[in-house]
Amino acid sequence: MLESRLTLAEFKRRAEQALNDPRLQQALAGATRHFREGRERAWAELPDVDALRDQLKEIRAATIARLAEHLETFERNATAAGAHVHWARDGEEANRIIVDIAQRHQVRLLVKSKSMTGEEIRVNPALEAAGIIPVETDLGEWIVQLAGESPSHIIAPAIHKTRQQVAELLSRATGRSLPVDDIPALTAVAREFLRDKFLRADMGLTGVNVAVAETGSIVLVTNEGNGRMVTSAPPVHVAIMGVEKIVPTWNEAAVWLQLLARSATGQPLSVYTTVITGPARREDADGPQELHIIILDHNRTQALGTPFEEVLQCIRCGSCLNVCPVYREVGGNAYGSPYSGPIGIVVTPLIFGLEAYPALPHACTLCGACKEVCPARIDLPRMILEWRHEESRRGLLPRSDLWSERWAAWLLAHPRLWRALTRILRWVQAPFKRDGQVRLPPPFQITGERDLPSLASRSFREMWDAGDVDADGGDAHGRT
Amino acid sequence: MAAREDILRRLRAHLRTASLPAPWQSRRHFPHLVERFCQALEEVGGEALVVQGEDAARERLHDLLGDLAAHRVVMNNEPPLNQWNLPQRWPEYHWFVVGQSDGDVRTFAASADVGISAALAALAETGTVVLGSGPGRSRLATLLPPVHIAIVPASIITVDMFTWVSQRPQPMPAALTFVTGPSKTADIEQTLITGVHGPRRIIAILIT
Amino acid sequence: MPTVAFFATCIVDNIMPEIGVAAVRLLRAAGYEVVFPSGQTCCGQPFYNSGLREQSLPLAQRTVEIFEPYDAVVLPSGSCTAMLRVEYPHLFADTPDWLARARALAAKTFELTEFLVHQAHWTPPRWNGAPSITYHDSCHMYRMLGLHDEPRRLLRAAGYTIVEMEESHFCCGFGGLFSVRMANISNAITRDKLRQALETSAPLLVSADPGCIMQMRGMLKDTDLRVEHVAVMLAQALHEGQGEDMRREA
Repeated sequence: MLESRLTLAEFKRRAEQALNDPRLQQALAGATRHFREGRERAWAELPDVDALRDQLKEIRAATIARLAEHLETFERNATAAGAHVHWARDGEEANRIIVDIAQRHQVRLLVKSKSMTGEEIRVNPALEAAGIIPVETDLGEWIVQLAGESPSHIIAPAIHKTRQQVAELLSRATGRSLPVDDIPALTAVAREFLRDKFLRADMGLTGVNVAVAETGSIVLVTNEGNGRMVTSAPPVHVAIMGVEKIVPTWNEAAVWLQLLARSATGQPLSVYTTVITGPARREDADGPQELHIIILDHNRTQALGTPFEEVLQCIRCGSCLNVCPVYREVGGNAYGSPYSGPIGIVVTPLIFGLEAYPALPHACTLCGACKEVCPARIDLPRMILEWRHEESRRGLLPRSDLWSERWAAWLLAHPRLWRALTRILRWVQAPFKRDGQVRLPPPFQITGERDLPSLASRSFREMWDAGDVDADGGDAHGRT
Repeated sequence: MAAREDILRRLRAHLRTASLPAPWQSRRHFPHLVERFCQALEEVGGEALVVQGEDAARERLHDLLGDLAAHRVVMNNEPPLNQWNLPQRWPEYHWFVVGQSDGDVRTFAASADVGISAALAALAETGTVVLGSGPGRSRLATLLPPVHIAIVPASIITVDMFTWVSQRPQPMPAALTFVTGPSKTADIEQTLITGVHGPRRIIAILIT
Repeated sequence: MPTVAFFATCIVDNIMPEIGVAAVRLLRAAGYEVVFPSGQTCCGQPFYNSGLREQSLPLAQRTVEIFEPYDAVVLPSGSCTAMLRVEYPHLFADTPDWLARARALAAKTFELTEFLVHQAHWTPPRWNGAPSITYHDSCHMYRMLGLHDEPRRLLRAAGYTIVEMEESHFCCGFGGLFSVRMANISNAITRDKLRQALETSAPLLVSADPGCIMQMRGMLKDTDLRVEHVAVMLAQALHEGQGEDMRREA
C-alpha cells in the first residue's frame, strides 16, 4: 500500500520478512525465471529484435518530446468517435471524475480490469467511500484484493499466494467450501463468480496499455478475457491513462505491441489485445453506450526537462523486475508502491515524492541488468543514481551514513592520513581476525551474516615501496 | 477545463523538435501463410482446421458442432456465415443470429455452448484472429461461450501486425480484438489454466 | 619498453595486495614496465554511487591529475575501470576542462584482462595441471565495459577449464555501500550466486573484480569453494613451474 514514509529501516524489515518466507522465495525464483526465459525465447524468435528495440526507443523519445501535440490529436479523434475525454492533474481529480460518472449512472457494482494508474490514485477506496463496490477481475488482482494486500509483481500480482491460500480466499468470497489442491477447479469457480459480476456490473473501469492518437483508440491487453468483458458488458466504460502512454499512429503502436507481450511473459502476443475506438456505434450488437477516457498527469509532467524524463518511455512490461537481483530476493510488496523493481524505484519517487520513499533509490546494486533487458533501452541505473544524488542534495540520507561517508571520502583524499588510519585499523582488527576474515561483535557486525575482509598486514603500496613487488622473486604474499 | 489547460501548458513548455523513425517494415517472410498461421495458433493452444472451399468449411463446422455436443449456438451475422443459412440447414440446434434473432444476445451467449464468427483479418506470425464489432457482430458472442469457432478465409491472412497496419479498417470499429489462442491464466502458483473469462477453446476453420 | 601506470584501487591496496602483485607480474610478463604513481588512493566510486557527488569530485580530480601523464593506465578492477571510463565524463559534465581531461584519460584506461588481450596481445603459457574453475562476470565489467570474453580467453589459454554457472552475470550482491545499507538483501543475493557456483562443482570461483571477491568470500562459510581474482589465477599458472603459490594466504 502507499506509504507516508518508506524509510530504509522499514524497507529492510519488509525485505527480511520476504527473505524468511520460503514459499515466496520459491515463487519469486520460479516466476522470474519463467518470465526471463520466456522473454529470451520470444526475442530470439524475432527477425531483428535489437533494431526493433532501437525503433521503440526512438518512437518513445520522439513521442514524449511532443506529447502535447499527440494528446490533443488523441482527444480530437477519440471525441469524434464518441468518447468523452477528461483530464486530471492528480489522483484526487481523477477519482472525483470517476465517482461523478459512477454517481450519475447510479452505479452500485463496478468491475475493474487491471489498471496500475488506478492503484496509483487509490481509486478503490474512493469508490467504496461513495458506496460503490469495485471488483477486481484479473484473477491475480482479485486474489490480492481479497487478501487485502498489494500485488507482488506487475504482471503476476499473486505469485506469493499458494493454492491453499487462494482456496481459502475464494471460499470466503463465494461462501462455498472449495478444494484446496485443485487449481482448475479454483479457476472455474473464479470464472463463474466473476462472470456474474461482469454481466451485472453497472460500470467497467480499466487502464490503458497504449493510446493511439491517429484514431483516438485505446488498447487493452489481457490473457484472461476480463479486458474484453469489462469493456463490452457494462453500459459505461471508464478508462484511465497516464499522459505518457500514447503513440502517434498505428505504425508506432505495432512496434509497442510487438514487443510488449514478448518482453512481459514471452508470449508473441497476449491472448486478447482489444482496441476500443469510442463507445458502441448505434448499429453495434453490444458494447457500452458511454466511454470516458481520463488522461492523468499525477506528476508525470514534472519529469519533463529533467534527467527523469526518460522514465516516461516505459511500456510497463515488467522485464526489469525479472532480472533485478533485489526484486528477485524480496518481491514487490517490500517496495510499498504499485510499481516495484527497477522501474518502481525510479517512477515511485517521481509520482509520490522522494520524501515519501527515501529507501527506494538504495534498493539497488547498480548491476545494470534492468537497462540490458529493457525493450525501450531505458537507462534506469542512470536515473537511480540521479535519485541518490537528489537525496543527498535534499538532505534525505540518514545522518550517520552521511557523516561516515564524508569522513571516508575526506580521508581518501589525504593519502598520508589514510595510511595512518589503516595502520591503526590493522591493529584494532587483530583480535577479530580468523582465516583472513574479520568477525566483529554484534553491534559492529554491520554486514549481518557476511564476514568482513581483514586489512592486509602490508598494503600493496607498502610492498611496492619496499621493493617487494618484482617480476622474478620477491614476496608474492599479501600478508605475513 | 482548468486541468486540461494546466497539463497542456506544462507539456507545451517542453515541446521540442523530434521526428519519428520511418515506419517499421515487416521483416518476416513466410513461404506459406496458412501453414505459419496454423502452427502459431496451435503453439498457443488454439486449434486450426484447413479445408478447401466453403462447402467443405460448412461440413467441417457441422462435424464440429456434433463433436462438441452443442445445443445452443450463437452466430455473428457476417460474411460468409450470413450466406450459409445455417439455422435453416441445421435446425437441430437452438440458434441465435446476431441482429436477427429476438431477445438479448448477452443472455443467450451466456448460456450458449458455441459462438461462431468470421474475422476481419488474421495474422500468420502469431496465429491471431482479428475480430471487429459492428452490425451483426456481437462482442459477447465470441467471448461468453466456452468454445469460439472462427471462419477464416485464407485471403484475409496477412503476415503480422506490421502488414496488418497498412490494411487496417478505416474507420476503426468501436471494438477490434486481436485474439491469439484460448483464454488463459497462470496466476495461481504459475499453473497454466485455459478458459478463465473467455473461451477455453478457439477453433479456426481456414478456407483455402 | 612500453610503460603502463598501475592503479591498484583501494580494495586491492589495503585488503588484497596479492592481486596487485599478480597483476604487475602479468604486465611485466607481457613486456611492459610498470609504474605505480604514489599519490593514488580511490577513484571515488563508492561515494559517487551513494549520491555524494561533491565528495567524489576531489577524488576523481586527483585520479585524473595523477594518471593523465601516462600512456596507459591499467586497473585490476572492472568496476573502477568503468568509473573512470564511463562515469567520469558524467561527473565532469558541467566543467569542460575537466571533461576533456577525463575523456582523454578514459581513452587510455584499461581493465587488466582487456589490456592483456587487446593492447598487449599477450597469450599466457599453458599450465597443463590447471584445475577447473567457474567464472563470475562482474556487473560493471560485463555491462558497462562489455567485457566477458577477455578473462575467459586468458584463463583458457593458461590451461584452466571453465565450467559456466547458470547465470554467470547475475550480480554477486555487493553493489558497494548497498552491501552495508541493505546487508540482509545483499547477503541473500550472494547466497544465490554461490549456490550457482557450487552447482558447477568447480573448486574455484574466479572474478576480475575485487569488490565481488570480497563480497563472495564473506559468505563462503564452510564450503570448500575458493574465490580468487583472475590475475592471481593467471600468475599462478605462469609460475606453476617454479612452484610458487600466488594465492592469498590465510
